[in-house]
Amino acid sequence: MNPLRLLSRTKLYWGLALICLIGALASPHTSSGANIFLSYQNLTDVLRQVSITGLVATGMTIVILLGGIDLSVGSVMGCSSVICAMLLTKSGWTPASVMAVPAATIATAFAVGFLARFIFHGLERGRDVEAGRRREIVLGPWRGYRLPALLGFAAGVAVAAVASLQVPTKFGVLAVLLATPCFALTLGAINGAFIVKGRLQPFIATLAMMVSALGIGRLTGGQDFAVTPVYTGTNATETFEVLRSMVWGLVPMPSIFFLVTIITFGAILRFTTFGRYVYAIGGNVEAAKLSGVKVAQVQFSAYVISGMLAGLAGVLFVAQYRQGKPDAGSGLELDAIAAVVIGGTSLMGGRGGLAGTFVGVLIFGLLSDILQLQNIDSNVQLLMKGLIIVGTVLVQEQNLGQLVTRWRGGPSATAPPRAGLADVSRPQGAKEASIVREDINETS
Amino acid sequence: MHDGGSALGSGSADRPGRRSDVVLEASGVCKSFGGITALSGVDFDLRAGEVHALVGENGAGKSTLMKIIAGVHVEYDGVIRLDGAPARFAGVQDAERAGVAIIHQELDLVPELTAADNIFLGREPLIAGMIVDRRRIAKAARALLARLGIDIDPQSRVGELRVGEQQLVEIAKALSLDARILMMDEPTSALSDSECETLFKVARQLAAAGVAIIFTSHRIHEVVALADRVTVLRDGRHVLTEPIEKLSSGAIISAMVGRDVALAHRDREPTRGAPVLSVRGLTLDTVSRRGWRRVLRGVSFDLRRGEILGIGGLLGSGRTEILESIFGAARGWRGGDIAIDGEPVAIDSPSDAVGLGIALVTEDRKARGLLLASTVRENIALPSVGALARFGIRGFAREAALAADVVEKLSVRCSDVDQIVSTLSGGNQQKVVIGKWLGAEPRVLLLDEPTRGIDVGAKQEIYELVFELAARGLGIVTVSSEMPELLLLSDRVLVMCEGSQTGILSRAEATQETIMRLAAPGLGERATGAAE
Repeated sequence: MNPLRLLSRTKLYWGLALICLIGALASPHTSSGANIFLSYQNLTDVLRQVSITGLVATGMTIVILLGGIDLSVGSVMGCSSVICAMLLTKSGWTPASVMAVPAATIATAFAVGFLARFIFHGLERGRDVEAGRRREIVLGPWRGYRLPALLGFAAGVAVAAVASLQVPTKFGVLAVLLATPCFALTLGAINGAFIVKGRLQPFIATLAMMVSALGIGRLTGGQDFAVTPVYTGTNATETFEVLRSMVWGLVPMPSIFFLVTIITFGAILRFTTFGRYVYAIGGNVEAAKLSGVKVAQVQFSAYVISGMLAGLAGVLFVAQYRQGKPDAGSGLELDAIAAVVIGGTSLMGGRGGLAGTFVGVLIFGLLSDILQLQNIDSNVQLLMKGLIIVGTVLVQEQNLGQLVTRWRGGPSATAPPRAGLADVSRPQGAKEASIVREDINETS
Repeated sequence: MHDGGSALGSGSADRPGRRSDVVLEASGVCKSFGGITALSGVDFDLRAGEVHALVGENGAGKSTLMKIIAGVHVEYDGVIRLDGAPARFAGVQDAERAGVAIIHQELDLVPELTAADNIFLGREPLIAGMIVDRRRIAKAARALLARLGIDIDPQSRVGELRVGEQQLVEIAKALSLDARILMMDEPTSALSDSECETLFKVARQLAAAGVAIIFTSHRIHEVVALADRVTVLRDGRHVLTEPIEKLSSGAIISAMVGRDVALAHRDREPTRGAPVLSVRGLTLDTVSRRGWRRVLRGVSFDLRRGEILGIGGLLGSGRTEILESIFGAARGWRGGDIAIDGEPVAIDSPSDAVGLGIALVTEDRKARGLLLASTVRENIALPSVGALARFGIRGFAREAALAADVVEKLSVRCSDVDQIVSTLSGGNQQKVVIGKWLGAEPRVLLLDEPTRGIDVGAKQEIYELVFELAARGLGIVTVSSEMPELLLLSDRVLVMCEGSQTGILSRAEATQETIMRLAAPGLGERATGAAE
């Protein structure tokens, strides 16, 4: 491959490498001469710090790939942190458990039901492909609806029972890890329902949820509980500590959640029909719909996933900062969108992916780490963030080759031809392959 | 402010096309896009007051040449002379100042603004240098449209006008710029026959007034009807320029494709299989700002296995809506019954329709048919992704095999299946749109303008494909604005007029005349075509 094109394709990673290089060179050294930036401790800290934004950005990437946007993730995350903290620290039917237990019940019931139906469908479909016949599979009544519904109901009952048993005592770590994302997922489902059924623009529907979720969080916490502190060992279970610990002393737990999530969803986008549909809808909704893609289903699922991951981020926030607060995620949605955009995902949808988002999240994390190591004012950090967003997107959108030619500054490439009817039959300037391709389309 | 008067007012009595004063001359024009040559050494000349048709297959370089003349492409080799003086435009505005205007195939109008506002967009007359003088705009626009003999209210919103009317607004806009050279890229591709007539009338009138007009069209009969001279391009090269009197349709076509093309022929007998699709009393109501409107007023037909049913009618008569209603894609409230293989079905969404084995090839392949930024393979596989997957995991190998199969069967000309679909020519894009349904193995294929905007050779291939699919037992419904195409393809023709089904003509009964009689509103006698 042409080296310039290779460079242009991988420019995002070069940006990451550049930031690392700057960090390493500018880093202060310890008394023993070790580079602080490059120390294992520092790098894992960065990974830990980006985990919450990263989880939210993962869901955001899917929504944006669809051509949507989810502004509610910050508030949903804050609200979830309050729910999580309250479940951990208070026993009995608190507002948190009143909301979280039914949410968990319903969410599990639906999830198990759909999963069962999906598996039965998969079994049938597999056989049919072998036979060389491709037709819509009609499942019998049992395998179509009854058995899945039954399984879902059973799972719901089981979850409700386990959760109700938990209610009189305080929730444990596994219980909050299940209940909180389920609660957030229902908020995402409400977003999805308004967008899909109510035909609201995603911006408006999620803006409404952004405001409402903040309200729900504050109401749940109660007037006096703007902050719900979590002291593991005194007012919450000791085992909750595990969510902020290092796994085998190597990787911070939140990062494990982040990495597993982003890899899982990366694989989903790459290898599953759902992923294909996400890109297809983002690329051209109308064409996708007319190709028989169940657009509403896919869109709904994306907002549900986004909500669920925001809820998970809320749990990790509680573990990290030992508190739940309604406005924990203020501005988080914009950080997530910025990371997605830096990662090269188009806000128009259909183009980009999670690999880019991962790099985008890391660039932000490393940047604030470098600035902190230099003891630079946090307001300067904001300024730098802004510059980085604009800078990277400029480089992303413009063709790199084009920029290079322009910088090298052959007048033939840059200067517009002289205006008007002057007699010029000058040689042709350099041409760029990418512009050109579009031009050819127009001619055809 | 220009009011467009000069272009029309200064007309002389000379017979159009006979004046020898060359207003524009291009010699040795070369243009390549990153290694791909679009034009190589094209010579072209244009005389004042002539209508000059530029014809050629897709990718022959017609649009590129027009865009170079109009200042859209500013980098090229060769010389363009305007009134004898070498000219090189720095951009579209520059060209417009010199009196060269282009109307693109996709119209550049703002649908939310009125016709008058669109005509003067960016050049609004001002009061005290600040306030837009809307009265003057309205007055000037009215005068302009009246002089062109166009019956459009300048105060109507462009979005509410029909495509043909929008086209005329574009022409008015170009003339308000004092254009001496007017270029139209595929002006008729979206127009009905009567709208074409109006357009032609306006074009001839302008030519008589001394405006030089260049237009492209894939419809050879239009070229013959309108042009004074014809230039044929092939593969970026100039083939010939001749007065129209010296050329026959056949000669133009063979010059375009570089070989003799047997014009569309047909050697199939209408088959008599079992009905695969039955439609009874199909209605569609839509709601818009103006209130409720019944778009379809009871359409009923049976489509047999292996049959091709054509739907004829004027633009806006509800042809497309029939297809969309059957496919579950129509906006609005649908009534009536649909049965597949004799079984009543409920189709509420396109995915229901696809599940039942119905496929729709839309009229607008770019906006509604293709994922333009995706590869050929992904476009072809899209409707079958679910069927080829296992437990939701995509079957990449099966998708690739399907795509390769379709590309081969339909002889889609692409470098490989991973080529981005937007880089294909129109005809090949259309093959991809049809081909993507082959993997889904449909029983009913709905085609909306299957050959819109594609060249003669590709059209032929599409026709053959349609016949072959019908022979395989698919039921096919096709909508077409081109009468010869409709007559060629259809075993029977269902004619629509203003949302009502005015008849179904058998192959023996269907002629241009019988169809037009049923299609034109208010033509008196409404023959009741034999329904079966």
